[in-house]
Amino acid sequence: MTVKVRFFARFRELLGTDILLEKKSGMVLATLVRELAEKKMDGYEAIFDEKGNFREFVIVMRNGKRLELSETMTVKVADGDEIAVFPPVAGG
Amino acid sequence: MIAIRHEDVDIGNLINEAKRPGTGAVVVFDGIVRDDDIREMELEAYEEVALKELEKIAEDAKKLHNLLHVDIVHRIGRLVVGENILIIIVSAGHRQDAYAGSRYIIEEIKKGVPIWKKELTKNGDRWVPGEHAHGKGKSC
Repeated sequence: MTVKVRFFARFRELLGTDILLEKKSGMVLATLVRELAEKKMDGYEAIFDEKGNFREFVIVMRNGKRLELSETMTVKVADGDEIAVFPPVAGG
Repeated sequence: MIAIRHEDVDIGNLINEAKRPGTGAVVVFDGIVRDDDIREMELEAYEEVALKELEKIAEDAKKLHNLLHVDIVHRIGRLVVGENILIIIVSAGHRQDAYAGSRYIIEEIKKGVPIWKKELTKNGDRWVPGEHAHGKGKSC
């Protein structure tokens, strides 16, 4: 399956964005993002805590809809999904 | 007009277009790049999602505050001090609704719409911290 991961703002600067991943189906969302972020430690540490969990301020969307961080540990990504990961918003 | 765009808008034209039948008040909010010892500001958005959220905020504001018309234009890209960042124009039959509707829209934008600001200063760049970590009050 193909999944697109988009990072924004500071996370984009650290990890890039619009990253297309080829993965086995049934992968848990948090695991997918963790594996991707691990390639650049400063990016990983910005998003995940020392236990490997999303930091509490991180916002995760799947196909434009926000997920609870607890959901990211059980929700499985599907072919064509767009996952967005970003810090608190600051528009206006 | 509900838009996320690089270009500025003609606020005067928008005010004229907001004067729908029954209008008794138009309120304009114009958020501007403030001179906080910065050179420029860079704005970034998750555009597809942010635009849908702005559209929903506008619809909710109309229903909640009896607005006759709403414009929301949020700019992205690089802006210099004094440039417009966010223009909100609302019209209503009465000033109370127009003021309340305008206030509702800006507060909802700040709560959750995925847009970020980076201040470019002489001493380096800094992301403006968000006021609401989880957006829409959700613990996600």
